[in-house]
Amino acid sequence: MRTLVLGIGNSILGDDGVGVHAAQELAGKIKDENIDVRDVSIDGLNLLELILGYDKLVVIDAVLTEREKVGEVYRFRPENVYDPSRSAISPHHFNLATTIEIGKRLFPEDMPGEVIAFAVGTEEATMVTEEMTDSVKDAIPIVVNLVLEELKLN
Amino acid sequence: MTRKIVIEPVTRIEGHGKVTILLNEKGNVDRTRFHVTQVRGFEKFCEGRLFWEMPNITARICGICPVSHHLAAAKAGDAILGVELTPTAKKLRRLIHMAQMVQSHALHFFHLASPDLLFGMDADPAKRNVMGVIAEMPGVAVKGVKLRAFGQKIIATMGDTRVHPNAAVPGGMNRALHSDKRDEILSQVDEVIADCQFAVDLFKDYCDKNSGVTNTFADFKSAYLGLVDENGNAEYYDGKLRLKDQDGMTLEDDVAPEDYLSIIEEKVEDWSYLKFPYYKKLGYPGGMYRVGPLGRLNVAGGCSTPLADKEFKGFKKLGENGILQGSLYYHYARLIEMLNCAEEIKVLTEDKDICSEDIWVNSNRFNEEGIGVIEAPRGTLFHHYWVDKSGKMRKANLIVATGNNNLAMNRAVNEVARAFIKNGKVTEGILNRVEVAIRCYDPCLSCSSHALGHMPLELTIREADGNVRQVIRS
Repeated sequence: MRTLVLGIGNSILGDDGVGVHAAQELAGKIKDENIDVRDVSIDGLNLLELILGYDKLVVIDAVLTEREKVGEVYRFRPENVYDPSRSAISPHHFNLATTIEIGKRLFPEDMPGEVIAFAVGTEEATMVTEEMTDSVKDAIPIVVNLVLEELKLN
Repeated sequence: MTRKIVIEPVTRIEGHGKVTILLNEKGNVDRTRFHVTQVRGFEKFCEGRLFWEMPNITARICGICPVSHHLAAAKAGDAILGVELTPTAKKLRRLIHMAQMVQSHALHFFHLASPDLLFGMDADPAKRNVMGVIAEMPGVAVKGVKLRAFGQKIIATMGDTRVHPNAAVPGGMNRALHSDKRDEILSQVDEVIADCQFAVDLFKDYCDKNSGVTNTFADFKSAYLGLVDENGNAEYYDGKLRLKDQDGMTLEDDVAPEDYLSIIEEKVEDWSYLKFPYYKKLGYPGGMYRVGPLGRLNVAGGCSTPLADKEFKGFKKLGENGILQGSLYYHYARLIEMLNCAEEIKVLTEDKDICSEDIWVNSNRFNEEGIGVIEAPRGTLFHHYWVDKSGKMRKANLIVATGNNNLAMNRAVNEVARAFIKNGKVTEGILNRVEVAIRCYDPCLSCSSHALGHMPLELTIREADGNVRQVIRS
């Protein structure tokens, strides 16, 4: 069974880089040849090729939330939030749930059977910086541990 | 301490695009505002870094069009070095750029635009989406995915396996193209060209059946801007700037890209972080111009390759003096460009020098200023850098394609709003029409890479007294 741990984010956009930082930390901790750990700064359909061929996908990403929930960690299955009737006005707006649905229809054999998402709550990140806010930084060890638990490596 | 919460499904974690419509006292549209998320602080972030780093740093600005920023930054770096690239380096830069055009245009048309066109703007939203296209026209959807993957693969080949490309450096390219990879591209390119032609034909069929819509939807007058090559053909990587007005009169021609400030100025509005560039001589906001596929083909005299040029000629016949003003014609122009770029990929990969390893030149002195201009998929992109004698960045100025189209997108939204709101009555379907209008311009709305949330468009209608009358969300 092959697993991909994918950290998604933009590490020069402050808190948006949390998925990237978590994945980089996990890359140093996971020494299992059946588990690949990657960090990428892409979204939408560009994720599709990366996830083909894996049995399980674990995604770590930032999600926008209210101010009081910044730094909280969420775990969910993207397929449960899939809503085909929601439209997109920019290619940025293809979310993972839609990408997975497209993949399932077009490449059913190659799609991961299980997808788990860990998301860290952030505010809209519009300032270019490599610094994250403290509450988001604090969430990194938590999400790292949750991923290790998920992979039964803890 | 951070808490862990399990929530299924996610409902509240999402961002959104915003449109505000301000009504006058009679209940008609007074003003419209399309709010674009804009990344701030980039100039400051760059200060003190070496200009050599800029192609890699700027590629990280955006997860959707990293190649465009990467190449514009490399071109600005070439100008700082004051060097002329080797022929192969230039061809490889063009190759990766054309690949980005094909993948970006394919993604946009097949996955974002085609549902509205194939099912109609008033079709049930549950069907009018990319899944509907996959279910009812699987052949169309598969072509879209294949075209996108073809472009993406060339980018990955040239730009290392990581997603942010590191293909180009000031003075040339990082790595040569291996002949195995060239052969792989060549083995697929004819099918890619055929699929691009298929897409053009699909849209032409739509135009034939819906000319009433294409000629009137978000149709307005503006100037147009784009790069053209020495023969006046649409150009994406090099060339000179040309600006035409709504009647096809040439306002500016043969403008060296580094002289862009002689024709463009930027205006700041207090309600938007994204500035509003305009054509200097016509002032603000009368100097509104449009960039991107429609801008490029409206100013161009032809396309560089035979199939695309044939389509270009047919396209031009639809407009008065060769100028098409309807926003939906962006899609038509986008598909002709996709065909043009696919044909260009073939020409480039068949070139006898394409696998040469003579791909980099250096210089031991730095100019203190460098400007790199490129036609990104969404339109003209300007990178302007100032460095000190050691090559450290003192200042950077970027004008992105979505910025160039800022005035025009607001105008397109305004056109739709005025058609759908009359004497206080808001007609159903306004939200999707606004989305369709914005989508024509393929804006890049956010540079953060969110894969999990959802970003609906939020449309707020305000009365003349400022009170919110209605909020519609997708």
